[in-house]
Amino acid sequence: MNVLITGAAGGLGRAFANECASRGYNLFLTDINAEGLNSIKRGLERQFDVAVATAACDLTNPESVDKMLDIINKYEIRFDMLLNVAGLDFEGGFMGREREKLVKIVMLNNAATLRITHAILRRRKMGKPFAIVFVSSLASMFPMPLKATYAASKRFLLDFAVSLRQELKDENVNVLTLCPGGMVTTQEIIGSIKAQGFWGDATTNPLEEVACSTIDRALAGKSLYVPGKLNRILSFFGKIIPRSWIAAVVYRRWKKAQRTTLCFDKPKV
Amino acid sequence: MNTIVITGASSGIGLETARILTRQGFNVLGVSRSEDNCKKAEENILSENPNARISFFVADLMQQREVVRVAEEIILYLNEHCDGELYALINNAGCVRSWYMTTEEGYEQQFAINHLAGFLLTYKLLPALMKVRGCVIMTGSDSHKGIRVHWSDVMLRRRYNPLTAYKQSKLCNILFAKGLNDRYAAAGIRAYVVDPGLVKTDIGNKETGSLVNFIWTLRKRHGVTPDIPAKTYAFLCEQKNKLEGLYYYLCKEKSYSKQVTSENANRLFELSERLCDISYEKVRMI
Repeated sequence: MNVLITGAAGGLGRAFANECASRGYNLFLTDINAEGLNSIKRGLERQFDVAVATAACDLTNPESVDKMLDIINKYEIRFDMLLNVAGLDFEGGFMGREREKLVKIVMLNNAATLRITHAILRRRKMGKPFAIVFVSSLASMFPMPLKATYAASKRFLLDFAVSLRQELKDENVNVLTLCPGGMVTTQEIIGSIKAQGFWGDATTNPLEEVACSTIDRALAGKSLYVPGKLNRILSFFGKIIPRSWIAAVVYRRWKKAQRTTLCFDKPKV
Repeated sequence: MNTIVITGASSGIGLETARILTRQGFNVLGVSRSEDNCKKAEENILSENPNARISFFVADLMQQREVVRVAEEIILYLNEHCDGELYALINNAGCVRSWYMTTEEGYEQQFAINHLAGFLLTYKLLPALMKVRGCVIMTGSDSHKGIRVHWSDVMLRRRYNPLTAYKQSKLCNILFAKGLNDRYAAAGIRAYVVDPGLVKTDIGNKETGSLVNFIWTLRKRHGVTPDIPAKTYAFLCEQKNKLEGLYYYLCKEKSYSKQVTSENANRLFELSERLCDISYEKVRMI
Protein backbone atom coordinates (compact mmCIF):
# COMPACT_ATOMS: atom_id res chain seq x y z
CA MET A 1 0.00 0.00 0.00
CA ASN A 2 1.51 3.35 -1.06
CA VAL A 3 0.10 6.52 0.46
CA LEU A 4 0.81 10.15 -0.40
CA ILE A 5 0.20 12.67 2.38
CA THR A 6 0.27 16.43 1.82
CA GLY A 7 0.90 18.75 4.78
CA ALA A 8 2.70 15.80 6.37
CA ALA A 9 4.91 17.84 8.71
CA GLY A 10 1.95 19.41 10.54
CA GLY A 11 0.08 17.97 13.50
CA LEU A 12 -2.68 16.17 11.57
CA GLY A 13 -0.30 15.11 8.82
CA ARG A 14 2.06 13.53 11.38
CA ALA A 15 -0.85 11.74 13.04
CA PHE A 16 -1.91 10.32 9.66
CA ALA A 17 1.68 9.36 8.85
CA ASN A 18 2.03 7.52 12.18
CA GLU A 19 -1.28 5.77 11.65
CA CYS A 20 -0.41 4.65 8.11
CA ALA A 21 3.10 3.55 9.06
CA SER A 22 1.76 1.52 11.99
CA ARG A 23 -0.41 -0.31 9.46
CA GLY A 24 2.66 -1.05 7.38
CA TYR A 25 1.86 1.34 4.51
CA ASN A 26 4.73 2.92 2.60
CA LEU A 27 4.65 6.68 2.59
CA PHE A 28 5.40 9.54 0.25
CA LEU A 29 5.27 12.71 2.33
CA THR A 30 5.19 16.27 1.16
CA ASP A 31 5.07 19.61 2.94
CA ILE A 32 6.37 23.12 2.38
CA ASN A 33 8.50 22.70 5.53
CA ALA A 34 11.55 20.70 4.44
CA GLU A 35 13.11 20.44 7.90
CA GLY A 36 9.85 19.22 9.41
CA LEU A 37 9.61 16.57 6.68
CA ASN A 38 13.07 15.27 7.55
CA SER A 39 12.12 15.05 11.21
CA ILE A 40 8.92 13.10 10.67
CA LYS A 41 10.69 10.80 8.20
CA ARG A 42 13.36 10.07 10.84
CA GLY A 43 10.75 9.45 13.51
CA LEU A 44 8.74 7.06 11.32
CA GLU A 45 11.74 5.08 10.14
CA ARG A 46 12.93 4.61 13.71
CA GLN A 47 9.52 3.35 14.82
CA PHE A 48 8.20 1.35 11.91
CA ASP A 49 9.52 -0.95 9.25
CA VAL A 50 8.19 1.01 6.26
CA ALA A 51 9.64 2.95 3.35
CA VAL A 52 9.29 6.72 3.72
CA ALA A 53 10.04 9.08 0.83
CA THR A 54 9.79 12.85 1.13
CA ALA A 55 9.75 15.82 -1.20
CA ALA A 56 9.41 19.39 0.02
CA CYS A 57 6.93 21.14 -2.21
CA ASP A 58 4.89 24.33 -2.39
CA LEU A 59 1.62 22.97 -3.71
CA THR A 60 0.47 26.44 -4.76
CA ASN A 61 3.38 26.64 -7.18
CA PRO A 62 2.84 24.54 -10.35
CA GLU A 63 6.60 24.30 -11.02
CA SER A 64 7.26 23.01 -7.52
CA VAL A 65 4.55 20.39 -7.98
CA ASP A 66 6.01 19.40 -11.36
CA LYS A 67 9.39 18.85 -9.72
CA MET A 68 7.79 16.54 -7.18
CA LEU A 69 5.93 14.70 -9.94
CA ASP A 70 9.25 14.24 -11.75
CA ILE A 71 10.53 12.31 -8.75
CA ILE A 72 7.36 10.22 -8.65
CA ASN A 73 7.64 9.58 -12.38
CA LYS A 74 11.34 8.74 -12.19
CA TYR A 75 10.78 5.99 -9.65
CA GLU A 76 7.44 5.05 -11.21
CA ILE A 77 5.69 5.24 -7.87
CA ARG A 78 2.02 4.32 -8.04
CA PHE A 79 -0.39 5.07 -5.20
CA ASP A 80 -3.28 3.43 -3.38
CA MET A 81 -4.30 6.42 -1.30
CA LEU A 82 -4.05 10.20 -1.20
CA LEU A 83 -4.54 12.19 1.98
CA ASN A 84 -5.07 15.88 1.21
CA VAL A 85 -4.13 17.43 4.53
CA ALA A 86 -2.33 20.63 3.47
CA GLY A 87 -4.48 23.63 4.20
CA LEU A 88 -4.38 27.13 5.54
CA ASP A 89 -6.44 29.37 7.78
CA PHE A 90 -6.26 33.00 8.82
CA GLU A 91 -8.74 34.35 11.29
CA GLY A 92 -10.55 37.64 11.20
CA GLY A 93 -12.96 39.78 9.25
CA PHE A 94 -12.64 39.85 5.48
CA MET A 95 -11.68 43.53 5.32
CA GLY A 96 -9.31 43.19 8.27
CA ARG A 97 -7.05 40.76 6.39
CA GLU A 98 -4.34 41.30 3.84
CA ARG A 99 -5.62 40.75 0.31
CA GLU A 100 -2.97 38.28 -0.80
CA LYS A 101 -3.23 36.24 2.38
CA LEU A 102 -6.93 35.76 1.78
CA VAL A 103 -6.33 34.70 -1.79
CA LYS A 104 -3.67 32.29 -0.59
CA ILE A 105 -6.30 30.40 1.45
CA VAL A 106 -8.20 29.57 -1.72
CA MET A 107 -4.99 28.96 -3.67
CA LEU A 108 -3.87 26.29 -1.25
CA ASN A 109 -7.08 24.82 0.14
CA ASN A 110 -8.74 24.59 -3.27
CA ALA A 111 -6.55 25.22 -6.32
CA ALA A 112 -3.54 23.31 -4.99
CA THR A 113 -5.70 20.47 -3.68
CA LEU A 114 -7.25 20.04 -7.11
CA ARG A 115 -3.81 20.14 -8.74
CA ILE A 116 -2.35 17.39 -6.57
CA THR A 117 -5.53 15.30 -6.62
CA HIS A 118 -5.62 15.34 -10.42
CA ALA A 119 -1.93 14.46 -10.63
CA ILE A 120 -2.07 11.60 -8.14
CA LEU A 121 -5.28 10.13 -9.58
CA ARG A 122 -3.30 9.82 -12.84
CA ARG A 123 -0.61 8.01 -10.86
CA ARG A 124 -2.78 5.54 -9.01
CA LYS A 125 -2.39 1.80 -9.32
CA MET A 126 -4.70 1.02 -12.17
CA GLY A 127 -7.23 -1.71 -11.61
CA LYS A 128 -6.81 -1.48 -7.85
CA PRO A 129 -9.01 0.29 -5.31
CA PHE A 130 -7.93 3.86 -4.63
CA ALA A 131 -8.97 6.16 -1.79
CA ILE A 132 -8.86 9.94 -1.55
CA VAL A 133 -9.36 11.87 1.67
CA PHE A 134 -10.15 15.56 1.63
CA VAL A 135 -9.62 17.27 4.95
CA SER A 136 -12.50 19.69 5.12
CA SER A 137 -13.81 21.02 8.43
CA LEU A 138 -16.88 21.26 10.61
CA ALA A 139 -16.74 24.89 9.45
CA SER A 140 -17.78 23.70 5.99
CA MET A 141 -21.25 22.94 7.34
CA PHE A 142 -22.09 26.55 8.20
CA PRO A 143 -21.66 30.05 6.92
CA MET A 144 -18.89 31.42 9.12
CA PRO A 145 -18.57 35.17 9.45
CA LEU A 146 -15.03 36.10 10.52
CA LYS A 147 -13.82 32.82 9.00
CA ALA A 148 -15.67 33.38 5.75
CA THR A 149 -12.95 32.53 3.24
CA TYR A 150 -11.73 29.52 5.17
CA ALA A 151 -15.20 28.07 5.72
CA ALA A 152 -16.16 28.62 2.09
CA SER A 153 -12.93 26.99 0.91
CA LYS A 154 -13.75 23.96 3.06
CA ARG A 155 -17.30 23.97 1.69
CA PHE A 156 -15.81 23.83 -1.79
CA LEU A 157 -13.99 20.61 -0.86
CA LEU A 158 -17.13 19.10 0.67
CA ASP A 159 -19.20 19.74 -2.45
CA PHE A 160 -16.44 18.89 -4.88
CA ALA A 161 -15.83 15.56 -3.13
CA VAL A 162 -19.45 14.47 -3.48
CA SER A 163 -19.38 15.04 -7.23
CA LEU A 164 -15.93 13.57 -7.78
CA ARG A 165 -17.00 10.50 -5.85
CA GLN A 166 -19.88 9.99 -8.25
CA GLU A 167 -17.65 10.43 -11.31
CA LEU A 168 -15.11 7.88 -10.11
CA LYS A 169 -17.42 5.38 -8.51
CA ASP A 170 -17.17 2.90 -11.35
CA GLU A 171 -13.39 3.14 -11.38
CA ASN A 172 -13.03 1.70 -7.91
CA VAL A 173 -12.08 5.05 -6.38
CA ASN A 174 -13.54 6.10 -3.06
CA VAL A 175 -13.66 9.72 -1.96
CA LEU A 176 -14.06 10.56 1.71
CA THR A 177 -14.46 14.02 3.21
CA LEU A 178 -13.29 14.51 6.78
CA CYS A 179 -15.03 17.32 8.67
CA PRO A 180 -13.43 17.58 12.11
CA GLY A 181 -14.01 20.22 14.76
CA GLY A 182 -10.93 21.64 16.43
CA MET A 183 -7.94 19.37 16.85
CA VAL A 184 -5.00 19.99 19.11
CA THR A 185 -2.27 19.96 16.51
CA THR A 186 -0.13 22.77 17.91
CA GLN A 187 0.58 24.40 21.26
CA GLU A 188 -1.15 27.62 20.16
CA ILE A 189 -4.45 25.86 19.52
CA ILE A 190 -4.76 25.02 23.21
CA GLY A 191 -5.16 28.73 23.90
CA SER A 192 -7.86 29.14 21.28
CA ILE A 193 -9.78 26.13 22.59
CA LYS A 194 -9.69 27.64 26.06
CA ALA A 195 -10.89 30.96 24.65
CA GLN A 196 -13.98 29.28 23.20
CA GLY A 197 -14.90 27.98 26.64
CA PHE A 198 -17.34 25.09 26.76
CA TRP A 199 -17.79 24.86 22.98
CA GLY A 200 -14.06 24.74 22.44
CA ASP A 201 -13.61 21.63 24.55
CA ALA A 202 -16.85 20.05 23.40
CA THR A 203 -16.17 20.28 19.66
CA THR A 204 -12.50 19.25 19.93
CA ASN A 205 -11.73 15.85 18.44
CA PRO A 206 -8.89 13.59 19.57
CA LEU A 207 -6.28 13.68 16.82
CA GLU A 208 -5.18 10.04 17.08
CA GLU A 209 -8.76 8.73 16.88
CA VAL A 210 -9.61 10.93 13.92
CA ALA A 211 -6.53 9.71 12.07
CA CYS A 212 -7.34 6.05 12.71
CA SER A 213 -11.08 6.23 11.94
CA THR A 214 -10.53 8.30 8.80
CA ILE A 215 -8.31 5.63 7.26
CA ASP A 216 -10.74 2.89 8.33
CA ARG A 217 -13.67 4.72 6.75
CA ALA A 218 -11.82 5.68 3.59
CA LEU A 219 -10.96 2.00 3.04
CA ALA A 220 -14.51 0.94 3.87
CA GLY A 221 -15.91 3.13 1.09
CA LYS A 222 -17.55 5.77 3.29
CA SER A 223 -18.17 9.26 1.90
CA LEU A 224 -18.33 11.58 4.91
CA TYR A 225 -16.82 11.50 8.38
CA VAL A 226 -17.82 14.03 11.01
CA PRO A 227 -15.99 12.94 14.19
CA GLY A 228 -17.80 13.34 17.50
CA LYS A 229 -21.49 13.06 18.43
CA LEU A 230 -21.90 16.74 19.23
CA ASN A 231 -20.30 17.72 15.93
CA ARG A 232 -22.72 15.42 14.07
CA ILE A 233 -25.65 17.07 15.85
CA LEU A 234 -24.29 20.51 15.01
CA SER A 235 -23.86 19.58 11.37
CA PHE A 236 -27.45 18.28 11.31
CA PHE A 237 -28.76 21.62 12.58
CA GLY A 238 -26.58 23.29 9.98
CA LYS A 239 -28.76 21.64 7.35
CA ILE A 240 -32.18 22.59 8.75
CA ILE A 241 -31.71 26.06 10.22
CA PRO A 242 -31.81 29.00 7.77
CA ARG A 243 -28.26 29.94 6.88
CA SER A 244 -28.74 33.62 7.66
CA TRP A 245 -29.71 32.74 11.24
CA ILE A 246 -26.65 30.58 11.65
CA ALA A 247 -24.47 33.37 10.31
CA ALA A 248 -25.83 35.72 12.97
CA VAL A 249 -25.21 33.27 15.82
CA VAL A 250 -21.75 32.27 14.59
CA TYR A 251 -20.77 35.90 14.17
CA ARG A 252 -21.61 36.65 17.82
CA ARG A 253 -19.74 33.62 19.06
CA TRP A 254 -16.56 34.19 17.03
CA LYS A 255 -16.44 37.84 17.87
CA LYS A 256 -16.32 36.91 21.53
CA ALA A 257 -13.75 34.13 21.13
CA GLN A 258 -11.52 36.18 18.86
CA ARG A 259 -11.25 38.93 21.38
CA THR A 260 -9.25 36.51 23.50
CA THR A 261 -7.23 34.80 20.84
CA LEU A 262 -7.00 33.83 17.20
CA CYS A 263 -7.56 30.63 15.25
CA PHE A 264 -9.68 27.51 15.32
CA ASP A 265 -8.23 24.71 13.25
CA LYS A 266 -4.91 26.17 12.31
CA PRO A 267 -2.74 26.16 9.21
CA LYS A 268 -1.41 22.77 8.30
CA VAL A 269 0.70 23.99 5.45
CA MET B 1 34.61 23.51 40.48
CA ASN B 2 31.67 21.10 40.67
CA THR B 3 29.19 21.73 37.91
CA ILE B 4 25.60 20.51 37.78
CA VAL B 5 23.19 20.66 34.83
CA ILE B 6 19.48 21.00 35.65
CA THR B 7 16.81 20.88 32.95
CA GLY B 8 13.52 22.69 33.48
CA ALA B 9 15.42 24.99 35.83
CA SER B 10 13.48 28.22 35.36
CA SER B 11 10.47 27.32 37.50
CA GLY B 12 9.04 24.90 40.02
CA ILE B 13 11.24 22.12 41.40
CA GLY B 14 14.09 22.87 38.98
CA LEU B 15 14.38 26.50 40.07
CA GLU B 16 14.38 25.67 43.80
CA THR B 17 16.95 22.92 43.26
CA ALA B 18 19.14 25.37 41.33
CA ARG B 19 18.79 27.85 44.21
CA ILE B 20 19.84 25.36 46.89
CA LEU B 21 22.73 23.98 44.85
CA THR B 22 24.12 27.45 44.07
CA ARG B 23 23.90 28.24 47.80
CA GLN B 24 26.02 25.18 48.45
CA GLY B 25 28.62 26.49 46.04
CA PHE B 26 27.91 24.35 43.02
CA ASN B 27 28.22 25.87 39.56
CA VAL B 28 24.74 25.38 38.09
CA LEU B 29 23.88 25.27 34.39
CA GLY B 30 20.13 25.59 33.93
CA VAL B 31 18.29 24.58 30.77
CA SER B 32 14.87 25.97 29.97
CA ARG B 33 12.62 26.61 27.00
CA SER B 34 11.94 30.32 27.24
CA GLU B 35 14.64 32.95 27.18
CA ASP B 36 12.49 35.28 29.27
CA ASN B 37 11.98 32.73 32.02
CA CYS B 38 15.70 31.92 32.00
CA LYS B 39 16.56 35.58 32.56
CA LYS B 40 14.00 35.93 35.33
CA ALA B 41 15.21 32.79 37.07
CA GLU B 42 18.82 33.92 36.86
CA GLU B 43 17.97 37.34 38.31
CA ASN B 44 15.85 35.69 40.97
CA ILE B 45 18.71 33.48 42.15
CA LEU B 46 21.33 36.24 41.92
CA SER B 47 19.16 38.74 43.80
CA GLU B 48 19.33 36.73 47.00
CA ASN B 49 22.81 35.31 46.45
CA PRO B 50 24.99 37.66 44.37
CA ASN B 51 27.86 35.16 44.47
CA ALA B 52 25.79 32.34 42.97
CA ARG B 53 27.39 30.70 39.96
CA ILE B 54 24.49 30.20 37.60
CA SER B 55 24.16 30.25 33.80
CA PHE B 56 21.22 29.40 31.61
CA PHE B 57 20.93 27.66 28.24
CA VAL B 58 17.76 28.05 26.17
CA ALA B 59 16.42 24.89 24.53
CA ASP B 60 13.08 23.30 23.72
CA LEU B 61 13.86 19.75 24.84
CA MET B 62 10.76 18.44 23.10
CA GLN B 63 12.70 18.53 19.82
CA GLN B 64 15.64 16.16 19.55
CA ARG B 65 17.68 18.56 17.44
CA GLU B 66 17.39 21.07 20.28
CA VAL B 67 18.55 18.47 22.83
CA VAL B 68 21.59 17.72 20.68
CA ARG B 69 22.34 21.41 20.13
CA VAL B 70 22.15 22.36 23.79
CA ALA B 71 24.23 19.29 24.75
CA GLU B 72 26.95 20.49 22.40
CA GLU B 73 26.80 23.99 23.87
CA ILE B 74 27.07 22.57 27.38
CA ILE B 75 30.04 20.39 26.40
CA LEU B 76 31.80 23.46 24.95
CA TYR B 77 31.14 25.33 28.19
CA LEU B 78 32.40 22.42 30.29
CA ASN B 79 35.57 22.12 28.21
CA GLU B 80 36.24 25.82 28.53
CA HIS B 81 35.40 26.36 32.19
CA CYS B 82 35.32 23.00 33.97
CA ASP B 83 38.02 20.80 32.40
CA GLY B 84 35.23 18.97 30.61
CA GLU B 85 33.89 17.61 33.88
CA LEU B 86 30.25 17.32 34.89
CA TYR B 87 29.47 16.46 38.49
CA ALA B 88 25.74 15.80 38.11
CA LEU B 89 22.93 15.93 35.56
CA ILE B 90 19.40 16.49 36.83
CA ASN B 91 16.82 15.50 34.20
CA ASN B 92 13.93 17.42 35.66
CA ALA B 93 12.14 19.00 32.67
CA GLY B 94 8.72 17.48 32.23
CA CYS B 95 5.23 18.20 31.03
CA VAL B 96 1.61 17.17 31.32
CA ARG B 97 -0.66 17.04 28.27
CA SER B 98 -4.43 16.75 27.92
CA TRP B 99 -4.37 15.45 24.37
CA TYR B 100 -2.31 13.24 22.12
CA MET B 101 0.18 15.68 20.64
CA THR B 102 3.38 14.91 18.81
CA THR B 103 6.87 16.32 18.40
CA GLU B 104 8.44 17.03 15.01
CA GLU B 105 9.49 13.38 14.86
CA GLY B 106 5.89 12.35 15.47
CA TYR B 107 6.62 11.13 19.03
CA GLU B 108 4.02 11.57 21.76
CA GLN B 109 5.01 14.68 23.71
CA GLN B 110 4.92 13.43 27.31
CA PHE B 111 7.03 10.43 26.36
CA ALA B 112 9.34 12.70 24.35
CA ILE B 113 10.01 15.31 27.04
CA ASN B 114 9.62 13.32 30.23
CA HIS B 115 11.70 10.39 29.05
CA LEU B 116 13.42 10.62 25.64
CA ALA B 117 14.87 14.12 26.15
CA GLY B 118 16.66 12.99 29.33
CA PHE B 119 17.72 9.74 27.72
CA LEU B 120 19.36 11.60 24.83
CA LEU B 121 20.86 14.40 26.93
CA THR B 122 22.39 11.91 29.37
CA TYR B 123 23.93 10.02 26.46
CA LYS B 124 25.53 13.20 25.15
CA LEU B 125 26.84 14.28 28.55
CA LEU B 126 27.93 10.83 29.73
CA PRO B 127 31.62 11.23 28.82
CA ALA B 128 31.75 14.43 30.92
CA LEU B 129 29.99 12.65 33.80
CA MET B 130 32.38 9.69 33.60
CA LYS B 131 35.41 11.92 34.13
CA VAL B 132 34.38 12.66 37.72
CA ARG B 133 32.18 9.60 38.40
CA GLY B 134 29.15 11.84 38.44
CA CYS B 135 25.51 11.10 39.00
CA VAL B 136 22.27 11.40 37.04
CA ILE B 137 19.04 12.29 38.82
CA MET B 138 15.57 12.03 37.32
CA THR B 139 12.42 13.71 38.58
CA GLY B 140 10.05 10.80 39.04
CA SER B 141 6.68 10.37 40.63
CA ASP B 142 4.95 7.82 42.82
CA SER B 143 2.36 7.58 40.04
CA HIS B 144 4.78 5.24 38.25
CA LYS B 145 3.38 2.49 40.45
CA GLY B 146 0.47 0.38 39.27
CA ILE B 147 1.27 0.71 35.60
CA ARG B 148 3.29 -1.14 32.98
CA VAL B 149 5.03 0.10 29.87
CA HIS B 150 2.73 -0.38 26.86
CA TRP B 151 5.47 -1.92 24.74
CA SER B 152 3.30 -2.55 21.69
CA ASP B 153 2.07 1.06 21.59
CA VAL B 154 4.42 3.13 23.67
CA MET B 155 3.13 6.42 22.21
CA LEU B 156 -0.39 5.30 23.23
CA ARG B 157 -1.97 6.20 19.90
CA ARG B 158 -4.69 3.67 20.57
CA ARG B 159 -6.93 5.03 23.31
CA TYR B 160 -4.77 7.88 24.45
CA ASN B 161 -5.20 8.65 28.11
CA PRO B 162 -3.17 11.65 29.29
CA LEU B 163 -2.74 10.30 32.81
CA THR B 164 -1.60 6.89 31.55
CA ALA B 165 0.92 8.60 29.30
CA TYR B 166 2.23 10.62 32.25
CA LYS B 167 2.51 7.62 34.57
CA GLN B 168 4.21 5.56 31.91
CA SER B 169 6.75 8.30 31.26
CA LYS B 170 7.52 8.39 34.99
CA LEU B 171 7.96 4.60 35.04
CA CYS B 172 10.36 5.07 32.12
CA ASN B 173 12.39 7.53 34.23
CA ILE B 174 13.02 4.95 36.90
CA LEU B 175 13.65 2.18 34.36
CA PHE B 176 16.19 4.45 32.70
CA ALA B 177 17.93 5.05 36.05
CA LYS B 178 17.95 1.31 36.71
CA GLY B 179 19.44 0.65 33.27
CA LEU B 180 22.12 3.30 33.81
CA ASN B 181 23.14 1.73 37.12
CA ASP B 182 23.24 -1.72 35.52
CA ARG B 183 25.58 -0.40 32.86
CA TYR B 184 27.70 2.23 34.55
CA ALA B 185 27.74 1.63 38.33
CA ALA B 186 31.02 -0.21 37.81
CA ALA B 187 32.40 2.91 36.14
CA GLY B 188 31.42 4.91 39.23
CA ILE B 189 28.30 6.55 37.83
CA ARG B 190 25.07 6.38 39.83
CA ALA B 191 21.57 7.23 38.71
CA TYR B 192 18.71 8.14 41.06
CA VAL B 193 15.07 9.05 40.83
CA VAL B 194 13.56 11.58 43.19
CA ASP B 195 9.89 11.36 44.09
CA PRO B 196 9.02 15.00 44.75
CA GLY B 197 5.62 14.14 46.22
CA LEU B 198 2.71 16.47 45.54
CA VAL B 199 4.25 19.89 44.87
CA LYS B 200 2.73 23.31 44.22
CA THR B 201 4.02 23.88 40.69
CA ASP B 202 2.30 24.86 37.45
CA ILE B 203 3.04 21.62 35.59
CA GLY B 204 -0.67 20.80 35.20
CA ASN B 205 -1.59 24.34 34.16
CA LYS B 206 0.81 24.70 31.24
CA GLU B 207 -0.69 23.91 27.85
CA THR B 208 -3.41 21.66 29.19
CA GLY B 209 -7.17 21.63 28.67
CA SER B 210 -9.70 23.02 31.09
CA LEU B 211 -10.35 19.68 32.83
CA VAL B 212 -6.72 18.86 33.63
CA ASN B 213 -6.19 22.52 34.49
CA PHE B 214 -9.10 22.53 36.91
CA ILE B 215 -8.19 19.25 38.61
CA TRP B 216 -4.56 20.27 38.99
CA THR B 217 -5.50 23.70 40.39
CA LEU B 218 -7.54 21.98 43.10
CA ARG B 219 -4.98 19.28 43.71
CA LYS B 220 -1.87 21.41 43.98
CA ARG B 221 -3.36 23.34 46.89
CA HIS B 222 -2.54 20.35 49.05
CA GLY B 223 1.02 20.21 47.76
CA VAL B 224 4.23 21.32 49.46
CA THR B 225 6.35 24.18 48.16
CA PRO B 226 9.06 23.17 45.64
CA ASP B 227 11.91 23.84 48.09
CA ILE B 228 10.92 20.66 49.98
CA PRO B 229 11.69 18.18 47.15
CA ALA B 230 14.68 20.34 46.13
CA LYS B 231 16.40 19.30 49.37
CA THR B 232 16.40 15.67 48.24
CA TYR B 233 18.27 16.54 45.04
CA ALA B 234 20.79 18.53 47.06
CA PHE B 235 21.11 15.65 49.52
CA LEU B 236 21.98 13.25 46.69
CA CYS B 237 24.44 15.68 45.11
CA GLU B 238 26.36 16.45 48.30
CA GLN B 239 27.17 12.81 49.22
CA LYS B 240 30.93 12.19 49.22
CA ASN B 241 30.41 8.44 48.83
CA LYS B 242 27.66 7.62 46.38
CA LEU B 243 24.49 6.17 47.85
CA GLU B 244 23.42 2.79 46.55
CA GLY B 245 19.66 3.35 46.41
CA LEU B 246 17.56 4.10 43.34
CA TYR B 247 14.40 5.91 44.45
CA TYR B 248 14.38 8.71 47.04
CA TYR B 249 11.69 10.69 48.81
CA LEU B 250 12.47 13.34 51.45
CA CYS B 251 16.13 12.26 51.50
CA LYS B 252 15.21 8.66 52.26
CA GLU B 253 15.11 5.54 50.12
CA LYS B 254 11.66 4.44 49.09
CA SER B 255 10.21 1.30 47.55
CA TYR B 256 9.37 1.32 43.86
CA SER B 257 7.28 -0.65 41.39
CA LYS B 258 7.95 -4.33 40.74
CA GLN B 259 7.99 -3.41 37.07
CA VAL B 260 11.44 -1.94 37.61
CA THR B 261 13.53 -4.89 36.47
CA SER B 262 16.74 -5.14 34.46
CA GLU B 263 14.79 -6.91 31.76
CA ASN B 264 12.35 -4.01 31.35
CA ALA B 265 15.20 -1.52 31.61
CA ASN B 266 17.07 -3.27 28.80
CA ARG B 267 13.94 -3.26 26.71
CA LEU B 268 13.47 0.46 27.29
CA PHE B 269 17.12 1.14 26.44
CA GLU B 270 16.79 -0.74 23.18
CA LEU B 271 13.59 1.10 22.23
CA SER B 272 14.84 4.53 23.26
CA GLU B 273 18.19 4.06 21.52
CA ARG B 274 16.29 3.32 18.33
CA LEU B 275 14.01 6.36 18.78
CA CYS B 276 17.04 8.63 19.38
CA ASP B 277 19.33 6.85 16.92
CA ILE B 278 22.11 6.42 19.48
CA SER B 279 23.91 3.50 21.12
CA TYR B 280 24.93 3.60 24.77
CA GLU B 281 27.13 0.60 24.03
CA LYS B 282 29.55 2.92 22.26
CA VAL B 283 30.04 5.11 25.32
CA ARG B 284 30.67 2.07 27.46
CA MET B 285 33.72 1.13 25.42
CA ILE B 286 35.41 4.51 25.76
